[in-house]
Amino acid sequence: MARLNEDGQWIVMMGFIVSITILILAIVVGESALIGKTTSESVLEFSKTDIQDLRSEILTLNEKKILNGSDGMDVIEDIQNISIQRKNSIVEIASWRDALARTDYIYIHFNNGITNYNEVYDEYY
Amino acid sequence: MVNNQGQLYTIEGVAAGVLMVVTAYLIVSSTTVLTPQDVHIADMQLEQLGNDALVILDTPDYSILNSTGSANKSKLQMQIENDGGAAFGENFSRIINSKVNPSEHDNLKFNATLFSRDELTGSVIEIQFNGSQYYRENAVKVNRWVYVNPTGATNPFVLNSRNQTVLVEVLLWRG
Repeated sequence: MARLNEDGQWIVMMGFIVSITILILAIVVGESALIGKTTSESVLEFSKTDIQDLRSEILTLNEKKILNGSDGMDVIEDIQNISIQRKNSIVEIASWRDALARTDYIYIHFNNGITNYNEVYDEYY
Repeated sequence: MVNNQGQLYTIEGVAAGVLMVVTAYLIVSSTTVLTPQDVHIADMQLEQLGNDALVILDTPDYSILNSTGSANKSKLQMQIENDGGAAFGENFSRIINSKVNPSEHDNLKFNATLFSRDELTGSVIEIQFNGSQYYRENAVKVNRWVYVNPTGATNPFVLNSRNQTVLVEVLLWRG
């Protein structure tokens, strides 16, 4: 190949440059598929909807005056038992009233081994 | 600098080097297992769709005019207390299968199950809610806590007559 004239050398060199550029671009494009996969995987793994759902259910129960009513413990046991058996998550719920501060507190704890969530929700009455 | 011939030898040398490195890289990387990448994206979208559908069905129809009346219940609550699984199936299927063009519809299938805790025995019981037969398709699972109190209702699923929370679990797959 070294015996080619000058034009031929230019053609060969440009060929190399173009092919190496295409190779690098292909690697970059290949990486993007990997990124799409990992983001959707982390969305699947992160229990955002589980926590939102638990929170909304507890606040609904509070709004309907059930959490502090006679069925309060039953409902908490429902959520705890079904959580462990069906959702592999540990849930703790407690509520108390601070009469001096005129505030109701609700403690929510959620842990599914990957995500741990704690919240103290307060509401003036 | 060197003459034309030397430059060309350099270029050939660089090219050969790149070829060798790329070959070595391909050999090493070919031993890793590649997973199909689109599956996760589709699963994520399906899960989001199912969760959204359940949230829609579990939103109470609250209004200041009937803040204490029976209308202050979510569709899902009324279906578990009174209307039964067929009513749920119809609503849920319509939500997940609707498309932008109203004359077209998607082809998603689901199987819904209720889980409730029996007060006497303390064990969690499983009740078939509604849906198609599930075989071995690639499915995602979505669920939703629902407050119900079947006292004085038809109670088609024979739940305890008390304030309680049940879990609606839905398997969702593209059929």
